Amino acid sequence: MEVKMQTKRLKLLADIFFTFFKLGCVSFGGGFAMLSLIQREVAETKKWVHKDKMAGIFAVAGSLPGAIALNTSVFVGYSVAGIPGSIAAIAGNLAPSIAVVLSLMAFYSRVSSSPLAASAFKGIYPAVVGLILYAACKIGKTALKDVTCVVIMLLAFICVAVANLPFVPVILAGGAAGFAISRIRSLYLSKKGR
Amino acid sequence: MLSTLLKLFLMFAKLSLFSFGGGYVVISMLMKELETDKVIKLSELIEIIAIAGMSPGPVAVNSAVGLGYKIAGLPGVLSCFLGIAIPCSIVVILVAKFFFKMYEKPATQAFLYGLMPVTVGIILYSAANIAIKNGILLAQPGGIIADGINLAIKGVHLFEVKSIIIIVVSFLLLAKTRVHPVFIILGAGIAGLLVF
Repeated sequence: MEVKMQTKRLKLLADIFFTFFKLGCVSFGGGFAMLSLIQREVAETKKWVHKDKMAGIFAVAGSLPGAIALNTSVFVGYSVAGIPGSIAAIAGNLAPSIAVVLSLMAFYSRVSSSPLAASAFKGIYPAVVGLILYAACKIGKTALKDVTCVVIMLLAFICVAVANLPFVPVILAGGAAGFAISRIRSLYLSKKGR
Repeated sequence: MLSTLLKLFLMFAKLSLFSFGGGYVVISMLMKELETDKVIKLSELIEIIAIAGMSPGPVAVNSAVGLGYKIAGLPGVLSCFLGIAIPCSIVVILVAKFFFKMYEKPATQAFLYGLMPVTVGIILYSAANIAIKNGILLAQPGGIIADGINLAIKGVHLFEVKSIIIIVVSFLLLAKTRVHPVFIILGAGIAGLLVF
């Protein structure tokens, strides 16, 4: 009986690992591209998590620190099989991309000294800038809810770019400002309502 | 060796805890970190970011792994990976276990309302920073791209035309089509070979 339970558990962990391994293989483009695939695999095919709960998981995973795909894997793995489940999910999800990164790094270190690589990279640097700008826009679409948010964003930009302040206090100050602004708003609204 | 590994682990553990908004914030923070602690050069970091962006999976994890490999080989990969993965996994598990309800509280939402725009500002800064450091935008006298078309007003460098075109084209391809970043980076590499 005991042994049977254990094999069942190992099978579940292996299932979690390989499900997320499969997702990891096709997760080009990172987090956001991956969410619909995760949803299909985890909620519809495997039925590990109820469909209605997925949106909540994505929202939480996206607003906690860390990559959204990674946080979602940990969350789902944990809900299905506790801490071992979350480890199986994260390992499965990241193994493919880590393998690809390492092979590209190894390949790149062989060609990096050639002058051709230097001029190729003169084209790649601006593309990376484009990539980062696009990431900012994508996050901005959900993060910039109103004019106040845009002002906070600009102030943050000035703090780090012009005043050269370290990031962590600026991030925390943003959170504190959001908290204060919401409080003031609700006080104002309740007074007005009276 | 051990102290390098520990340092890498701690650096990524710290970044990981504040990486609201995911990958590109980590990259911005890494750039900042490298200003004070020059473990690698900015140009090397950008090469790593390009490789990280071409690979599947989260950019933050890919860059961490790439940086670890560059600095300390496979042991470096392991310590950077654990550094970036463990702290946020613990946070996720705690939330999954205890705080799923707390997340829905107005106070938490108010905090995030102010915090998320800051991450957008930080990401924009890192884009500007890469452009400036590589002579694309507001280049310093020593950093001007020699074989580019540089625009300047009264001796002050404004921008380099070819690079700006590549930025705009890659941004539009990402925003308007479903072309995968791997092809954009490869295409940009070919464009670089042709025009520089």
